[in-house]
This record gives sequence, C-alpha cells and structure tokens, in this order.
Amino acid sequence: MAATDGEGGSPRRGGAALAALTQAALALPILAVAAKAGAAQVGEIGIAVLGYKERGLMKVTEPILWANAQFADVWEVQASAAVDIVTGASPELISNQSGRAVQAVTGASINDRRTTGDLHVTRHFGDFGLSGSYTESNEEDYHSRAYGVEGRWDLNQKLTTIAAGYGHSNDRVGSSVDATLDAPRRTNEYMLGVTQILTPLSLVQSTLTASRGHGWYNDPYKLTLTFYPDQVIPTLLSDRRPDHRDTIAWLTRYRRHFTEANGTLQADYRYFRDDWGIRAHTLELAWQQDFGERWSVRPALRYYTQSAADFYAPVIPRPQPAVLSSDQRLGAFGGLSPSLRVTMRLQGGLVLEGTAGYVHDARSLHLGGGGSEAFTTLRAVYGLVSVSHTF
Amino acid sequence: MSLHRFAFRAMAAVNEVQVHAQDRDAAAAMATPAIAEVRRIEAKYSRYRKESIVSRINAQAGGAAVAIDDETARLLDFADTCWRQSGGRFDATSGVLRRAWRFDPGAEAPSQAALDALLPLIGWDRIERTREAVRLPAAGMELDFGGFGKEYAVDRAAWMLREAGAKSALVSLAGDLAILGAQPGGAPWRVGIRHPRMEEVAIATLPASSGAIATSGDYERYIEVGGVRHCHVLDPRTGRSARGFRSVTVHAPSCLVAGSASTIAMLMGREAGLEWLDRLGLAHFCVLEDGAIVDRFEARSLQPAGEHGTA
Repeated sequence: MAATDGEGGSPRRGGAALAALTQAALALPILAVAAKAGAAQVGEIGIAVLGYKERGLMKVTEPILWANAQFADVWEVQASAAVDIVTGASPELISNQSGRAVQAVTGASINDRRTTGDLHVTRHFGDFGLSGSYTESNEEDYHSRAYGVEGRWDLNQKLTTIAAGYGHSNDRVGSSVDATLDAPRRTNEYMLGVTQILTPLSLVQSTLTASRGHGWYNDPYKLTLTFYPDQVIPTLLSDRRPDHRDTIAWLTRYRRHFTEANGTLQADYRYFRDDWGIRAHTLELAWQQDFGERWSVRPALRYYTQSAADFYAPVIPRPQPAVLSSDQRLGAFGGLSPSLRVTMRLQGGLVLEGTAGYVHDARSLHLGGGGSEAFTTLRAVYGLVSVSHTF
Repeated sequence: MSLHRFAFRAMAAVNEVQVHAQDRDAAAAMATPAIAEVRRIEAKYSRYRKESIVSRINAQAGGAAVAIDDETARLLDFADTCWRQSGGRFDATSGVLRRAWRFDPGAEAPSQAALDALLPLIGWDRIERTREAVRLPAAGMELDFGGFGKEYAVDRAAWMLREAGAKSALVSLAGDLAILGAQPGGAPWRVGIRHPRMEEVAIATLPASSGAIATSGDYERYIEVGGVRHCHVLDPRTGRSARGFRSVTVHAPSCLVAGSASTIAMLMGREAGLEWLDRLGLAHFCVLEDGAIVDRFEARSLQPAGEHGTA
C-alpha cells in the first residue's frame, strides 16, 4: 500500500480527485445522492390574471396558464396559454379643426379576444443546452406563428454562459372593417447573449437582439383626419407605414445580492433603435427585499423615453407623403412606471404573487423635453395576481 | 405530514435528526435506527473509548498487527484516497500533534522543537495494512478517524433513514449533514452556515434538497496568540495550523466526500484550496482569512428569469 504519488507533490487533477474520493466513499455502505441545491423542482404549474385599465380607454384582462416540467434531468418542457380580452373604446382619430391637433376617441366600443399559446422544449447535453420553441397567437384580425431555436453554452465553471438564438415569425394581418385585407408579415430575429458571474454575489447579462421584418405594418383601424382651412371636406388618410422594419435592441441586466441586507439590486438598461427613426431608452431599477423565507417585496421604477418615427405626424402635411402615421405610439414621449410586487411562499411549494403598477406616459417625460405635441397623456394602472405550485 | 425533530448527544456534540412524517411515532420509528447507527460508529471508532478498534490499534503501535473488519478496511481505504488526493495533507496519523497543541484559553502555541519531536510519528504511507489487519510501525504513532468518522456516521444515518422509509429527512452531526429528499412540496431545506466569528449567527443560508453539506472551520477549537489564530486543522508536514480560510463549506453527494473536500481545501490554503474546490466542481461556500466570501452556491440563483428569449 505504499504510495508513489502524493506526499509533498501537487495534488491530482480535480475531476480525477472527485472521482477517486467518491469511489472510495461509495465502497462503504453509505447513501450517496446527487447534490441538488435549491428546490427539487421538477415541475411548476401556475395561473395568473392580469388586469389593465387606461383611463377611459381600454381594459385588458388576461388569464394566463403556464406549466413546466423536467424529465430525466436533461429534458425541460415549458408551455403556456393566455387569453386576452380587450374591451373599451375603439382607436382614435386626430383632428385639427380648431387649428391645433387634438386627439379624439370615437365612442364605438370594441370587444376583442386574443388567444396565445407557446411550447418550449430544451435538451441539455452537459454544458450545452439546445432548445426549440413554437408560439401561436390568434385573434379575429391577426394571426401569428413563430418558432425559434436557441443554444446555450456554460463555460468557465459555469461562471459564463453564452446564448445564441434565431427566431422566425409569420404573421397575417386582417381587419374587421375590411374583409379583403389579408396581408402577410414575416420577421427574422437573431439573438446573442452573454451572462457573466462577476463576483459570488453579482452578475451581469447582456443580450443583443436584431430583427429584420417585411410585410404589412399598417394599422387598418387608424386614420389621420385633417381639416385644411381652405377645404370644406376634411382629408382622411389611412395609416401608411413602411413595408419593412429593422430593429436592434440591446438589453443589459445587473444583479447584485447584499447578504447583510438580505436584498438584491436589479438594474436593467435597454437601448432600442429601428430604421423607422425610433430611438428608445429604458432604465429600470428595482430592489427585492426578502423577509425571512416567506415574504419578498420588490419596489421598482421604470423610465422610458423614445424619439418619434420619421413618418409620424398628427396632421397630414402638404404635399401628402408616401408614408404617414398618426399613431401616437410612434411619437416622441417618455414614461414613468412605478410598481410593487409582493411574493408570499407557503408551505408545500405554493407561491402567491401580486403586482400593482402605474403607467404614466407623457410628452413632457421625453428625455430632454420636446415630446410630440399631439401626444395625449396616458395614465394606466395594472395589477397581476398569480398562484403557482412547484412539485 | 409534519416535521419532527430529535436532538441527541453523540461524538461530543449536540446532533439532530429531522424527519417529515405523519406523526411523532412514525417519525421516531425512522429516526431511532439512524441515531443508534451514529452511536454504534462512535463506539467503534472513538479514540476516547478504550475498547474501540482505533484505541486497540493505537495501543499496539510498534507492536502486533490488529485484526480489522471489512468496514474498517474500507474506511482506511477512504483515508488512503484522501491522503493521495491531498498530496499528503490529509493524514489520518496526524492526531499525535494534539500532544503538543493545547486549544484552551490562554494556551501558547507549541515550540518548533515540540512539533519536530512529533513529526516523525506522522506518516500515513508507513502504516502496514491488509484487508484483514493493520499495524502502526512505531510506538507512539496514532490512528485517528476524526477527519472522516463523523462524516461516515452522517452518511450511514442517512442510509438508515432511507431504509426506514424516510422520504424527506435531514441528519446533522455537529453541523455536518446529509439531506434525504426535499421537504414536502419540493421546498429545499435551508442550511445555515455558521458565521466563523460569531456564534449562533448564520453567515449564509444555503438551499439544498439532497446531498450532504460539510464545513471545516478555524473556529471549533483554536487559540489566539499575539493576534494569530491557530486552529485545530493541522498540516501534518509542519505541525502548524492551516492558514487562508476561516471556513470552507462543501455540498457533495455524500458527507464523506463533502467533509474531505472541505478539510483538504483548508489544508491547502487560500489559493490552492480555492483552485482545488473549483476543480472538484462541487458547490462550495468559503469565508477567507480576511473575511471575504467566495460563494459558489448562491450566484446562480441570481440569474434573471425569462431572458434570452427569441421570437
């Protein structure tokens, strides 16, 4: 039993060392099981109801059902389904009869229903994970089918994760006011991301997403109405947007856990630009405070600002341009959105979560001032309640 | 189902078995054999008990070989593996250093001469052993199961709990523990890691639903001389205390593996120890000499959910 290796020398390589220790331990009549940190989560099922109300405009309720499960440690399946019920007033018109642009909302009510579902399957091969996804969304005047593939690779003792993905969506746009409308829209999306654990208690994640789409982008319900002083009959122009759109979004997230305070700082910044002329910045700061095992509270504040699309105009200029939209979501504005989330974890893997938030979008909140004059301030409240169960 | 806890004294410590069961009686039926197994191992391997196999081997140092059973032979094989994998730092014959070290308040660190006199009595590779017998070649040499006996007892207790039908249980011997299945509903057990400088204070809480967690620290037995802490984790090559870590906690499939991995890391010191732990690929949590924390448990759980989505 004399040893020729070992003493005074350098220890053997780690993988071999673990194998040797484990083998020697297992020679004894002991129990050895895979060391699993965290919950022994093999599955989760949950339901959520989202309520959204814009002052006098629109109400959305969205029951969402989701589930995920793991099989044999290497397969992961996630699925979700949602139904949106949109009720409220129909899209707006713009008038400048009084000499300045005024937003007007027609009184006609709409009642629309959207159903969506998605399926996500992942297969893990050691440090590499490959997943495929399919998403379908249907409403009376809009159908979307999308699929995606994504690879994830853990490097550097899992301190670094690299992800790359491709997605394609195939949409068809129709209209309840124009039965002949059946226009396609296709989008390709490319994603590259990296997650780096910086210190044991902090990490940063950066994801770059580019998309390239072409097809029908016009809103069939949106009209721009302009009264020229020299005309008796107002000029009405339907929404006309470019037939292609390229976008780039860069999202960076930072997480840092403070052991003493038992809380986590969450900071997200997103930059977005497209070839319609929109440049947008989103900054969100949140603090998740844990109180013992059971309660967490997460206050958050999000700031958003965007510049207007090149073809955005609340009134029809003369001469009429080839592309024009008065959709105020394409205008220049900014928004502040505070929210509060409370999480309660109960015995037996039951998690209750409630989120309440307020949205305030206004031209005055545009970064550096100078928001679109015709932008009508939007105030909305939303609430999300969910129940989930892990097993 | 409710949680039932059974505290018991063994191996000079307060220990505990926790079991989820229908009622107290059912829980006791599962915990009792596990506790009995811990006591059996203590009686068999404690160097404080004259009749233990370890005491008999030590009493025969320099003399005759002592017959051993299969269980003991396998434990000595495990000690041999630890010695090889640690480059000789983990040595089951290093217990003789206790003759020079006194970890009582006000005690002094031993002189180099006192340590030098003991070092020739240390040497795992000099032990003569077969499957049936073991012999310490020189009078004064000692075999000590302190580095893996308790860990073995934890693993055996977990085995007994499972044999008794426990689906969700935890056994903890002086803070080294094994976990048998998540809590009902899938919630993990929350394992508190003791603050190395504050008693009764947890420096971290680690979630675990299976496997074993063991900690080596410089706080169990130590003396401070001139502001320098000398702990009971001793390097067999110098006779001096390990330096670099206040504590090392490792999560592994068995407590024997977790305990030896953490002790070897302590003995290697900060740089080599962290590298060793990283290479092992086991989840670990370390408090370094300067109080800094290296957490290879928690960081992954910070990961934002639902990111990197396509389409």
